[in-house]
Amino acid sequence: MKSKKVVSSLLAGTMVVSLFTGCGAQDASLQLAPDTNTAADTTPADTTPAEQTPAENTANADTTPTYEEQTLKVAAFEGGYGADMWSEVVAAFEASHPGVTVELTVDKKLEDVISPAMKAGDYPDVVHLATGREAALTETLTKEKALLPLTDVLEMTVPGESVKVKDKIIPGFLDTLATNPYGDGVTYYAPMFYSPCGLFYNAGLFTEKGWDVPTTWEEMWALGDKAAEEGIALFTYPTTGYFDAFTYATLSSAGGSDFFNSCMTYEDGIWESDNATKVFELIGQLAQYTEGTTVANANNDNFTKNQQLILDNKAIFCPNGTWLPGEMADAPRADGFEWGFMAIPAVNAGGSGCSFCWFEQMWIPAAAQNQDMAKEFVAYMYSDEAAAIFAKSTAIQPITGVSDSLEGDNKMFYSIYDNGATAVMGGFASTAPVEGVNMLDTLCGTVNSIVSGDKTVAEWQAAVEEASDKLRAAME
Amino acid sequence: MKKSKERSIFITICVAPAVILFIIFMLIPTFNVFKMSLYKWGGYSNNKEFVGLNNFKILSEDTNFFRSFQNTVLLIVCVTIVTMALSLIFAAILSREKIKGQNFFRIIFYIPNILSVVVISAIFSAIYDPNSGLLNSVIGIFRSSEKTPILWLGDQKLVIYSLVIAMIWQAIGYYMVMYMASMASVPESLYESANLEGAGKVQQFFSITLPLIWTNVRTTLTFFVISSINLSFLIVKALTNGGPDGATEVFLSYMYKQAYTNSSYGYGMAIGVVVFLFSFGLSALINFVTRREPLEF
Repeated sequence: MKSKKVVSSLLAGTMVVSLFTGCGAQDASLQLAPDTNTAADTTPADTTPAEQTPAENTANADTTPTYEEQTLKVAAFEGGYGADMWSEVVAAFEASHPGVTVELTVDKKLEDVISPAMKAGDYPDVVHLATGREAALTETLTKEKALLPLTDVLEMTVPGESVKVKDKIIPGFLDTLATNPYGDGVTYYAPMFYSPCGLFYNAGLFTEKGWDVPTTWEEMWALGDKAAEEGIALFTYPTTGYFDAFTYATLSSAGGSDFFNSCMTYEDGIWESDNATKVFELIGQLAQYTEGTTVANANNDNFTKNQQLILDNKAIFCPNGTWLPGEMADAPRADGFEWGFMAIPAVNAGGSGCSFCWFEQMWIPAAAQNQDMAKEFVAYMYSDEAAAIFAKSTAIQPITGVSDSLEGDNKMFYSIYDNGATAVMGGFASTAPVEGVNMLDTLCGTVNSIVSGDKTVAEWQAAVEEASDKLRAAME
Repeated sequence: MKKSKERSIFITICVAPAVILFIIFMLIPTFNVFKMSLYKWGGYSNNKEFVGLNNFKILSEDTNFFRSFQNTVLLIVCVTIVTMALSLIFAAILSREKIKGQNFFRIIFYIPNILSVVVISAIFSAIYDPNSGLLNSVIGIFRSSEKTPILWLGDQKLVIYSLVIAMIWQAIGYYMVMYMASMASVPESLYESANLEGAGKVQQFFSITLPLIWTNVRTTLTFFVISSINLSFLIVKALTNGGPDGATEVFLSYMYKQAYTNSSYGYGMAIGVVVFLFSFGLSALINFVTRREPLEF
């Protein structure tokens, strides 16, 4: 009887102790960490993980520089371009930076992979993750002021070359709120792969019907009426999320780039100005030409059904980015289908068309351990070597001349700015978080209600102005 | 004396694992939710600013939050009433009547419960498809094709009920099995004597079955509250993501949006506190209202 009790006590004791092994394992892995990272972390020569300064790098640029043995943690979002290009670029970086080991994390849901460790204080050194994603990790870190300014990266010489980073980047890309989120001229995001956004259509349909591609909104409405007689709707959209690019472009077209920036920085009354009213009313009218089932499919599960409407000749235009043909590559399509792509027609008569230029961003968390090598890595992204690797996967960086290497449909997409369309770049300025107020939800999400008739354009406009007022107060 | 000391040590050791797990995984996180609701914090940095009850003050003026509150209450009420009624009826039929393929139906009803919510939402987004969906095709037989199709997921007045249907479909089997289990323990003799007295099936159900499984029904009511709040988040996330234009936003999806997408972690936790208190309060209220003297048999 007694022995039974002893055995039970022992077993229970073991359970209690085993509870703590969870905590214990973490300690053990911490001790292991230096060994697994790099063997050289324990060499006597090593004092700090990154002793190499940018100045030394640039001085050694022509000869093959040597570096302290170190590990650089890079986290990259796997977008439509695939993950292979990242492994290739990292391999090339390691080859040109002997001694540096890159620990690469590439994932389609990058936020889910890296944020738990980040909350525990373990940050990647370099992150490639765009703004405007649902999890909004980039925005959150921006709002929390947890990013490193990249001003000195722009001044660095591109590794292996003799040009400064800022001189390689296409002019205009560094003057936007999408690179300088606080609107104070300091760059926090390095502009990476860009993609013009505009209206996609079936060029084959226009040839078949003998229609002309509209260049003004007047022609657009006329086409809409004509197409409606044949049972074809003028417009559809994948989800309301795509209206950010659409509204940015039309705002800029309506009032010019200063006006656009005033909108993005929540200037008082700007959303109730005449120019903004033009844009709201334009979208209100477009809503009447929108394909009837669009709203029902405008969600994450079904948005491809809306995109399919273009392929099936049930709708004519769909706002999107250049990844659309790739996304719909395997979808069935009407006979004679051929991708067409155009800028958004000018809002004011006689003005030029406009296209929002969307780009992904790379940034360095302020809490990154190996900041110097992180900066070196960001600078390396603008080398011809890296750009060539990315361009193979049609990921085009804003480096002068890179888009020349494109062929076929992609060449047509990227030539949109050569054909007279104004490039619009930027996005809403970063503010301190305002509880319960989400500008993109108010501005874009409401489009569903406009199309379904649940809200009027005036209500929508008033709500946007109200959100803008609240966010202005949170700007610093 | 020595014996009793030994005994209490033994009990302490036996209970310790559960208590420690409970503290680490339940008490501390719950306490943290309450604590974080008093801060303004984005979720990552160390800049936590104590704002007292300010988050709750903002919450009390947030119309979007009230909409998600309404949606959640609507879901709880509709899903609970319909699911409970249907699963009680099915359970009574399957356990009291001799019908062919009893086990087959039992399995069929239970299957939706095994499926993951993502699969369920994929099934329902196919069913609700405006052009080629099952529902509109069936309705199309009785309706002229000239009319615009019914937008189950696009019409803001309809979409919440589309979610209700999906949630009921998902839940019936689970509760049916629970009710069947307790119905099985009701003694057959009661039904026999009821038969002799001339009571019909319906009367037997209301006078014998229901009162005798009442404790079980009470328990499931609490389950309904909790699972409606949790499941509605999963289904909304996969099926509509709160859209169109916030028409299907529920408690937890709004909390998630605020805490993560809108970088207001503290505010999200304040919503968490309200959800916590609401579900606790509602469960307590239901428990109180449905209290009956347990029947012995």
